Amino acid sequence: MKKFDYYQPDNLGQAFKLKEKSGENAKYIAGGTDLIIRIKQKAVQPDALISLRRIDSLKGFEENGNISIGSMTLFRDMERNELLKKACPALVEAVRVLANPQVRNVATPGGNISNAAPSADCAPPLLVMDATVTVAGPGGERDIPIEDFFLGPGKTRMDPTEIVTRIMIPKTPAGTGMAFLKMGRVTQDIALANVAVLLVMEGETCRKCRVAAGAVAPVPLRLHTVETLLEGRNIKKDLTEEAGRRASAEVQPITDVRSTEEYRRQVSGTLVKRAIEAAVKRVS
Amino acid sequence: MKKEIHFRLNGYEVAAEVESHKMLLNVLREQFHLTGTKEGCGQGECGACTVLVDGLNVDSCLYPAFEVEGKSVTTIEGLVGEGNVLHPIQKAFVEGGGIQCGFCTPGMIMSAKALLDETPDPDEAEIKRGISGNLCRCTGYVQIIESIEKAKEFVQAESADETD
Amino acid sequence: MQEFSFIGTETPRPDAADKAAGKALYIHDLSRPGMLYGKIKFSEYAHARIKSIDTSRAEKLPGVRAVVTGYNTPEVRIGFIRDNFALKKDKVRQFRDEVAAVAAIDPEIAEEAVDLIHVEYEELPGVFSPEEALQEGAPLVHEVDVRGRPKTDNRVPVPWKFVSGDVEKAKEKAAYWAESHFETPLIQQSCMGTAGCIAEFDLQNNLLIHTKTQIPFLAQNDFNRALAALGLKGKNSRVIVPTLGGSFGTGLDTHGYEYIAILLAYKTGRPVKIILTREEEFTALSPRQPSKSHIIQGCDGEGKLLFRDIRMVLDNGAYTSWGATTPSVMMLPISSLYRVPNVFFETAIVYTNNTYCQAMRGYGNPQAAWALESNLDELAEKAGMDPYEFRRKNANIPNDITPMGLHITTCGLKECLDTVADKLQWREKRGRESGKARGVGMASLFHVGGSGRVYRSDGSGIILKLDDFGNVSVISGGIEMGQGFGVALCLATAEALGVTPDKVTVITGDTATCPWDVGTHASRGAFTSCNAAILASEKARKKIFELASEHFMSRVKSKMKKQKRKNPDFEIPDLDYERICDPTEFDMRENMLFLKEEPKNAYLRVSLGDILRAAHYKEQGTMVVTEAFYDPCNQMIDAKTCHGNLSATYIFGTQGAEVEVDLDTGQVKVLNFVAAHDVGQVLSRHAIRGQIYGGVVQGIGYALAEEYKTHKGKNLNPNFLDYKIFSAPDIDFPIEIECVETHDIEGPFGAKGVGEPGLVPTAPAIANAVYDAIGVRIKSLPITPEKVLKALRERT
Repeated sequence: MKKFDYYQPDNLGQAFKLKEKSGENAKYIAGGTDLIIRIKQKAVQPDALISLRRIDSLKGFEENGNISIGSMTLFRDMERNELLKKACPALVEAVRVLANPQVRNVATPGGNISNAAPSADCAPPLLVMDATVTVAGPGGERDIPIEDFFLGPGKTRMDPTEIVTRIMIPKTPAGTGMAFLKMGRVTQDIALANVAVLLVMEGETCRKCRVAAGAVAPVPLRLHTVETLLEGRNIKKDLTEEAGRRASAEVQPITDVRSTEEYRRQVSGTLVKRAIEAAVKRVS
Repeated sequence: MKKEIHFRLNGYEVAAEVESHKMLLNVLREQFHLTGTKEGCGQGECGACTVLVDGLNVDSCLYPAFEVEGKSVTTIEGLVGEGNVLHPIQKAFVEGGGIQCGFCTPGMIMSAKALLDETPDPDEAEIKRGISGNLCRCTGYVQIIESIEKAKEFVQAESADETD
Repeated sequence: MQEFSFIGTETPRPDAADKAAGKALYIHDLSRPGMLYGKIKFSEYAHARIKSIDTSRAEKLPGVRAVVTGYNTPEVRIGFIRDNFALKKDKVRQFRDEVAAVAAIDPEIAEEAVDLIHVEYEELPGVFSPEEALQEGAPLVHEVDVRGRPKTDNRVPVPWKFVSGDVEKAKEKAAYWAESHFETPLIQQSCMGTAGCIAEFDLQNNLLIHTKTQIPFLAQNDFNRALAALGLKGKNSRVIVPTLGGSFGTGLDTHGYEYIAILLAYKTGRPVKIILTREEEFTALSPRQPSKSHIIQGCDGEGKLLFRDIRMVLDNGAYTSWGATTPSVMMLPISSLYRVPNVFFETAIVYTNNTYCQAMRGYGNPQAAWALESNLDELAEKAGMDPYEFRRKNANIPNDITPMGLHITTCGLKECLDTVADKLQWREKRGRESGKARGVGMASLFHVGGSGRVYRSDGSGIILKLDDFGNVSVISGGIEMGQGFGVALCLATAEALGVTPDKVTVITGDTATCPWDVGTHASRGAFTSCNAAILASEKARKKIFELASEHFMSRVKSKMKKQKRKNPDFEIPDLDYERICDPTEFDMRENMLFLKEEPKNAYLRVSLGDILRAAHYKEQGTMVVTEAFYDPCNQMIDAKTCHGNLSATYIFGTQGAEVEVDLDTGQVKVLNFVAAHDVGQVLSRHAIRGQIYGGVVQGIGYALAEEYKTHKGKNLNPNFLDYKIFSAPDIDFPIEIECVETHDIEGPFGAKGVGEPGLVPTAPAIANAVYDAIGVRIKSLPITPEKVLKALRERT
């Protein structure tokens, strides 16, 4: 493996200074479970890594109506948090099937979304909950709606000097139901397709619908044609079948070593249909 | 760059001069000669390199060595008790038939320990989930799960002994 | 029925504690004084001429001690037809071709040096399938054969053909027949511990090599040939085998990296260690042989099998290794699984620029079973018969000779079939329930169970060495690779000799000290070594009882006196202490000798150690060391006709699955799995369960998830991220095992081999269950959701 320097700043200011000093070929590192692999594979060859693990301001949850998750909060803590389970069940479901215990003991949501893999399991739940990502850099902080955050495989709207500091999830109203489904070749797998659905129901009528799918486009994708189909309607079997068909049409999957375009297209439709049915059942 | 790191290893305070690009796995095997922890894939897929850091099971092949500063690391060797006595979990694997070639065993046992430390009485699904990051090619997992069920009893019996 | 003290028990493995404690030393953990680290540079093309290799920058890198290529080392030919070379010259024929290697003082420098070697290639068009390679005018993978004569096509000169009876005539008579085409992919053994070795020369230029191998003595032979190529003819190799992190057939051949380590060790005069990374384990080792089979099977009006016609095309890859010999094993089930009087089997084996293959657990049998047992269900359906009834009707029976000349002695196939049918609730569940995509399916296996004479010697040697304390070293040329060879041998020795297992130490893995063994393959380890141990134990008992005849009573007397000294009130019994017993009067159990006539007499008992010390510590004393070489009563098959009784006994088994198919995603979910195996006799209950569970899970992986993918010769998934083997949560269904004990007379205590059968019939059992569930048959492995959905769509 190529040699790199390794810095462990205690606060954001230090981190930004180190990044500036180390230059373009320095990278921030969170849990490292994506980045270290990419370095070993020679996909990236940084001269220096700036660790965010000691920066306490990036850790922990806050709840004041909305939920704020620090970017360096460990996945293992998220999956055990009662508050999160109640407020963002789809996100917790996604975290529970993300990789395995060893990875979840060091990996973080900030790292997951910064890595910007189209298959990032966190992304569809965050998309359907209309999350906002707060990023910070030497120039200050700014908010990026999650729907604008991903630009392409491995690319985000962040500047190379910026890092994710917090993810804010707005409070969901009464009548909300949400679900997350993931499809892999075996249980331990990168998603071939992952899907999240959030519904706000008033009786049998859907007042608000959010649908997102990952691993089936260059970025995790909101499926707007499915959302417009469901909003304002009573959710019945014919409608969910149609929703599935629209989802299959709207996604842009590719064929790669894991699966085929045809299969991903088909299965994302099935997952969307099933996630809608599950979300309806879970309406609070 | 190099730095001297200080941490607790299998119950003892230790120090080592480490290069910045090294992972914890390299330091354990090459500098401390603790070869019980294995490299199976180097990519965090197989879990053969699993150790405990502050009680949590992690893949040491992806764990930057510098990050272990001030922390407590336990490897498979650290589970063997005074007088060369196997830890109840190790004993359970031996008696339960959960070991064939043995290459996955250290990592598997460390994950079992992390699981049982947090959940002393896991059901079968929880056991499988707890070892989902540890691949085994020999056993088909059945006797590993049986060994962990046995380990549950052994650990509970040992704590009962201690409180007597 | 014989009652055993240790055979069949749950006694833990003797090697388990060290493994649990992290003390067992695998090749990765070993270090030798002055050791250097080797790293190999592999080809960047599937097919290309090597124009030049510039090693100058690598040589100059501080810490580098040697750089070798095919141009600065003697030519070392490898492979059983010697068409491969340790380092390539002139051209590369596959991506894994080794073009150069480096030895350096640490692994990071070695890796850096490899990147500094610059190779200039002229790319050549390649062939990536047997069909492509057989086309008129296709580029030749090898322009000349091993004798230097020009080749005109890409055929490998290892033709296999088996004929029995008259298939063409039988076709005319058949009332029903079924014809299909089946395919199996490349599969990687995926041992958790990757391959590697440490090679070094002593000051007399003999080679010492620590290496991950299942064939230490055949490897010794191969390495001696390599030494001759280095100008060291007459020098010897010593092969030492450390604890293996699995093998599954990877250790059944000698590999390029071993010869390269030897070349580097020779050049530097220092030990050189090469360990394959996980990626190299995928790309630079040899996977399971893929296959394409065209099969027709036919039966009469009553469902009795009449003929079997199967033609296979095998992609040999760029060089020849055991993959090209898998037909010799495929021939076993093809000729002899169920009773079929007329058989035709032919293969075409073709060079391509893909990776070459060698041995993997089952060695061709899983590939053959895939075609045979899937197609048998098709035939049963044509004949209007239930597949279980069909199998039962045609099942092998004990004491039968098959068309290949295989002498079946014990045979538990019918019991295995019945067990599976019973435990799966076959009668209730077979036949598609309307509305439910659930079904059951089964498949059987036939394999060697008493070794297989593929070399002129099929022998296994054992040396038994007893010490002064009654400890026994059983020294074997066989290899423990996790399968339980050690515990089986320990229990067999304890049982046969009359000592307890804790007194027995199994010693293996050193060609200098262990007796010859052809290798641990063909499920032969326990069968042959335990038989040899039984013979050596009988010799030892004879010798011990001869010594006892002289020393037994005097030892008894000595014990009485000692007891009297301790306890003055003790009354020494009135026995004839001067009596010389006859050796036939003695028995020995659990380390104690006693008189057969008075087994319960507490005074007339002397420990083994006591007798051995008495025999040793005297003038003209003696020690007890015995040996035996067990070479089974089996035959090599005839080179032309492929007939012959290859094994001393045969194993049978049936596996069955209940599955449910998700009609919208195509996913196949296993609900229940049953494996019934004719094992002869259980030796170690721990180990046998482990072998079968492990085999079943590998088999289900073969059926549903594993595939080594390539594109124009390049491996696309050389890692566990994309080559999927199961983790614990995937086994979310019960696996029930039944060991049918048929008590084979050839087997040690009646046992037959069990190393491989666990994964032989698994894939067709699953495919047959999928067919029962949804009426579609997937004919190429793995049965992926993509294939299932596609097949469902095409059906409607």
